[in-house]
Amino acid sequence: MNRLTHLPTLRIRPESRRDIHYRGKAHPAAAGDTIATALYANGVRIFGRSLKYHRPRGLYSLDGECGNTTMAVDGVPNVRTETVPARAGMTVKAQNVVGSAERDLLGFMDALSFAMPAGFYYKTMHKPAPVWPLAINRIRKQAGLGAIAPDFEITGVFDELYPRADVCVVGGGPAGMCAALAAAEAGLRVILLEARPWMGGFFDYRAAAHPGGGLLHERARELADQVEKAPTIRVFTSAAMTGAYHDNLITAVQQGGDDDPFDSRYLQIRAGAMVAATGCIERPLLFENNEKPGVMQVGCAHRLARTWGLMPGEKIAFSVGHDLGLEAALDLAELGGRVVCVADIREDGQDPALAAALAERRIPYFKGWVATEAQGRPTLGRAVFSTITGTVQKEFSCDALVASAGFTPVTGPLNTAGAKLAYDNHTGFFLPTDLPPKTHAAGRIMGLQDPLSLETSGRLAGLRAAADCGKRVDDAVRDAEAALASQPGPERGCKLVTAPVKGKKTFICFDEDTTLKNVKQAMAQGFDVPELIKRFTAAGTGPGQGGIPGHNLPLFVAQTQASPDKHPRPTTVRAPLVPPLLAEYAGTNHDMSKRTPVHESQAAAGGKMERIAVWNRARVFSKSKGAKAEIENVRTNVGMLDASTLGKFRIFGPDAVKALQRVYAGDMTKIPSKRMKYAAMCNDDGCLLDDGVIVKQGDAGANDFYFTASTGRAGQTVEWIRYHAKYENWDFHLVNLTDAYGVINLAGPNARKVLEKVADADVSNDAFPFMGYREFTVNQTIPVRAMRLGFVGELSYEFHVPSSWMQALWDVLAEAGAEFGIQNFGLEAQNTLRMEKGHVIIGSESEQRTNLLDLGLGFLWDRNKPEAKTVGAVALRQAEHQKGRLKLVGFRMAEPADRAPKDGSPIVDDRIRGYVCTARYSHALDMPVGMALVEDELTPEGTRLSIFEDGCEGNLIHGEIVSMPFYDPDGKRMRM
Amino acid sequence: MSLTLTCPICGERNGYEFRYGGEDKGPRPDRARLTPEQWCDYVHMNDCVAGVQKEWWFHRDGCGAWFTTHRDTRTGLETDGPDNAART
Repeated sequence: MNRLTHLPTLRIRPESRRDIHYRGKAHPAAAGDTIATALYANGVRIFGRSLKYHRPRGLYSLDGECGNTTMAVDGVPNVRTETVPARAGMTVKAQNVVGSAERDLLGFMDALSFAMPAGFYYKTMHKPAPVWPLAINRIRKQAGLGAIAPDFEITGVFDELYPRADVCVVGGGPAGMCAALAAAEAGLRVILLEARPWMGGFFDYRAAAHPGGGLLHERARELADQVEKAPTIRVFTSAAMTGAYHDNLITAVQQGGDDDPFDSRYLQIRAGAMVAATGCIERPLLFENNEKPGVMQVGCAHRLARTWGLMPGEKIAFSVGHDLGLEAALDLAELGGRVVCVADIREDGQDPALAAALAERRIPYFKGWVATEAQGRPTLGRAVFSTITGTVQKEFSCDALVASAGFTPVTGPLNTAGAKLAYDNHTGFFLPTDLPPKTHAAGRIMGLQDPLSLETSGRLAGLRAAADCGKRVDDAVRDAEAALASQPGPERGCKLVTAPVKGKKTFICFDEDTTLKNVKQAMAQGFDVPELIKRFTAAGTGPGQGGIPGHNLPLFVAQTQASPDKHPRPTTVRAPLVPPLLAEYAGTNHDMSKRTPVHESQAAAGGKMERIAVWNRARVFSKSKGAKAEIENVRTNVGMLDASTLGKFRIFGPDAVKALQRVYAGDMTKIPSKRMKYAAMCNDDGCLLDDGVIVKQGDAGANDFYFTASTGRAGQTVEWIRYHAKYENWDFHLVNLTDAYGVINLAGPNARKVLEKVADADVSNDAFPFMGYREFTVNQTIPVRAMRLGFVGELSYEFHVPSSWMQALWDVLAEAGAEFGIQNFGLEAQNTLRMEKGHVIIGSESEQRTNLLDLGLGFLWDRNKPEAKTVGAVALRQAEHQKGRLKLVGFRMAEPADRAPKDGSPIVDDRIRGYVCTARYSHALDMPVGMALVEDELTPEGTRLSIFEDGCEGNLIHGEIVSMPFYDPDGKRMRM
Repeated sequence: MSLTLTCPICGERNGYEFRYGGEDKGPRPDRARLTPEQWCDYVHMNDCVAGVQKEWWFHRDGCGAWFTTHRDTRTGLETDGPDNAART
C-alpha cells in the first residue's frame, strides 16, 4: 500500500525497513510501525476471530482497548499488536481461527448465536452431569483466545527499574507535559509516563490551529522539546501504567524500542505526588455489526493517516458525535481521501466553521443521523444510515466507516489510586469527585477539550503536586486557577449513542462477544446492576479490560431501566490496567547462587555440582550406585569433603554469653576452653531450628566465641539472635563469617596420618582428642581452626580457614593424602554415612512440629536456667509428657531383600502414623536401613511398620524398628 | 508491598528491604509467674488493630538492625519516626 509521505506529523521512518512474517510471507514494516499498522499497510484487514462467534475482527482503536488485534507473536499469545512495535524477524499468527483469519472454518458459529443467549454457558451443559466434561472440553477448544505451547519458553530481556520521583505524571499529552514542566520549574524531580512511543497526546496528529498560534502538532512538539530538555524530568515513553497503590506507588510496563537494551521493562515508581492526565478514549457507537472490519474510531482513522501515512480506505464514511470527528473527516479529505458522507448525531451545537468547510468540499453532511448497520462480508462494503428516530434511511458504499459517539475519560489510573467518581450530566463523563491525598487530575479526563484550557489545567495540577511536595507555589497556583476560570470549561458531551436497532449484532463488548441483546436478556432475568451484568454477560472481562464497554455498559443499563438510575456507577476497575506478561513481573534473574572457594577443584575432580539452597555443592564424585565407592573409602581409608557452606559466626562482648543463653537450649556458661560444645536452637514452640558447635576463642576470660550453624540457617542466624535480644540492651557484637571462612572435613581411619604430615602441632589422640578444638598452622603458613567431631561416624576433623586459604589447604591435604588413596566424597555419601550413625539433618529428620525431645536430643536442653528465658524452654517443658507426638526411630526392612523406601513415604495402618525421613542401603551393614518419624505407640523395638511408597499401588512394604545408631553404636571409631 | 519504612540507621527505604517482626508485645515475661495459656498468648496471640500500632521491623537488606516504628495498618503509612534501634 502506498503511504502518504512528507507529512510533518508522520512517526515512521520508511528508510529503516524491517520484515515481519505473517502467513508464510515477509511483510515489510517501517521503523515506528506497530505490528498492527505494519500489517494494515500490507493489506491485512482481518486480524483474528472473536471469542464466541468467530466473527472477523480488524483494526478499531490503535491503543489496544479491545482484543480485536491481539495476535500470537513469536509464540507469545494475546500480544496487543496495536501497542507493540514491529521488530525485525517477528513471526505473527492470527488467533482463535481454524484455517486462517480470512477463512475461518468455525465462522458458521456466528449464525448460531441465537442459540447462545447471555449466561447459556452457566445454564446449559451441566445436566446430565456426564455432559459437562465433554462440553467443557469442546467449548474450551473453540472459544478462548491464544494458545500457548506447553514447552514454550519465553525469550527476551525483561528489565526492571525502581525509580523515585517527587511528582509522577501519567500521560504525556498537552496537560501532562504542562504538569511536568510546572513541577520541574518548581525544582522537583519528575517522572512522566506516556503509553505511546512519543509524547503529544491528541495534539500530536492534528493539523488544526492552536488558539495560541501555530498548529496543534507543532505545539505538541514544542512542549515535548521543552520536557525533553528539562534536566529534572525523566520521560518513559511506550510505558503503560498498570496500577497505583498506597502512598503513590505507581507501576507501569514499558516496551523497549529499537535502541533500548531490553524488550520490556517493569517500572515501580515511588512518587511524592501523582498527576493523572490520561486523556480520553472514544465512546463506541452502538449499531448493527459495529465491529465489522472496516469500522474504526475517529482517532484510529485520523492517526492511521497522519501518524503512519495510511489512508483507512478508498471510500470513507463517518458517523460521529463530536467536532473532532468532523475535523478528522475534513483532514482526511484534505489529505486526498474520498469521504462519502458524514453523519452527525447532533442536531446542533457543531462548530459552524467545520460545517461550512464540509459544505465547501461538497461532502454530504447529515445532522441528526447515525449509522445503523455495517454490511458486507467478511469486511465492510456498505453502510446504512438513518435519522436518530429511524424513520428515514440511506445507504452508502464504503470500505471504511469511522464511527464514534463521544469520549470516555481514561479513569483507570484514578480508580486504582482510590479516587471516587460520579456521573456528570453535562460532559457525560464519570468525573473524579474525591481524589486521594497528593493525587491530581488534569486535562481531558476533567471534560476539557479546549487546547489552552488543557495546558492550563495541566500546569495547575503540576503546581498543586509541587505544593504537596513542600514547594511554596501559592501565587502561581492562584494565577493558574484564575487563568483556567477565564478559559473554556468542560464541553457538553454525547452520553451514549444507540442506533435505532434491536441490537442482535450490536456489540457492547467486542472481546467477549456481548451484544445489546445479551445485556437486555440479563436485565430481563433480574440483573439490574452493571457490576452483576458484567459478570453474567462477561462484558468487559476480556483482554481490553473494559476499554470498549467501560462506560457504555453502565450508561446503557441506566438508560434502559424502568426507573432510570440517575447516578449510574461505572464497573470497578482494578490493576493491572493493561495486561502485562508474567515475565515482565518476574523481571531480571533474581536467582543468585554462591560457589565455595574450591568449587572449580571439585568440578575438575568429577564432582556433580548441584544447587542446594543458595549454594552449589558436589552431590557425588564417583559413578558407583549410591556413592558406594565414596562411602567405603571414608569407612576404610580417608576422604575429604568441602563443608564451606556451613554458617559461621563470631559473637563477642560482655553480654555475648547472655545472648547465647537466650537462643541455645543448652547451658552456654559452661563452654570449656579447647573443646567444642554441641548445641541446638529451638523456636518458641520448642521445635528444632538449628544445631551447631560453639568454641571459645582467645583468653580464658574473653567473651569471644566462634560458632557454626547449618547451611540452611546461615542467612537467618544473626536476625534470630538479635530478634530475641531486642528488648535487652545487651552489649555484644555478632558477625557473620559464613563467606569469610571455608571448611574442609577430613574423615576416615587414616585421617590422622594425613594430618600428621602437614600440621605444625601434636595431633595425636591424647593431644587432640574427640570433641577437641585447636588452632594451629599447616605447613607453617595456613592458619587453621581445627575441630574434631564425628558427623560421619569416623575419625574426623573439620578445618576452618579463611576463604583465601581454602584452595591451598585443599591442595595440601589432597597431596598429603595421595599415598593413602584419599578421595573426595560428596553430599550423597555424607548423607548415608551420617544416617548410619543416626545423626540428624534438620529438615530431613525434623519438620516444623518436631521438637528437641522428639529427636532424642533432650540432652541438649538445660532446664535449669530460667533466668535466661531461653527460647523454647517453656514449650519443651510442656511437651515433655505430651502424648501423640511423632518420635524419631530407626528401622530396617522386614524382608532383607527389600530395597530402602523413598524418603518421605508415609507409614500407615488404617491412617497415616508417620513417615520415612531418610532411608538408604547401608554398605557397612549390608542392608537397607532408615530413620522415620512415627507416633509414640509405634516406637518400641521390633514394631512392624507398613510403608506406603508413591506408586506402590497398595502393595505396602514393611520395616521393623531397631535401635540406633546402626553403625558403631558405641562411637569407638570417632574416638580412635 | 507498597510500603516505605524509616530505619533509624539508614533512613527511609523501600519496604522490600525489611522483614516484619510482629507487634510490639514487650519484653519476654518471667515464666515462673505464668500459666501455660498466658505464655502461649504471649507467643502466638496478636491484637491485629486496625489503626496505629507499634511494631518491629528488621532491616534485612541493610544494616541488620531491629527497630520499632508506629504504622497505621489501614494505610500502611508510618505515623511517627522509628524508635532507637535495639543495640547490638
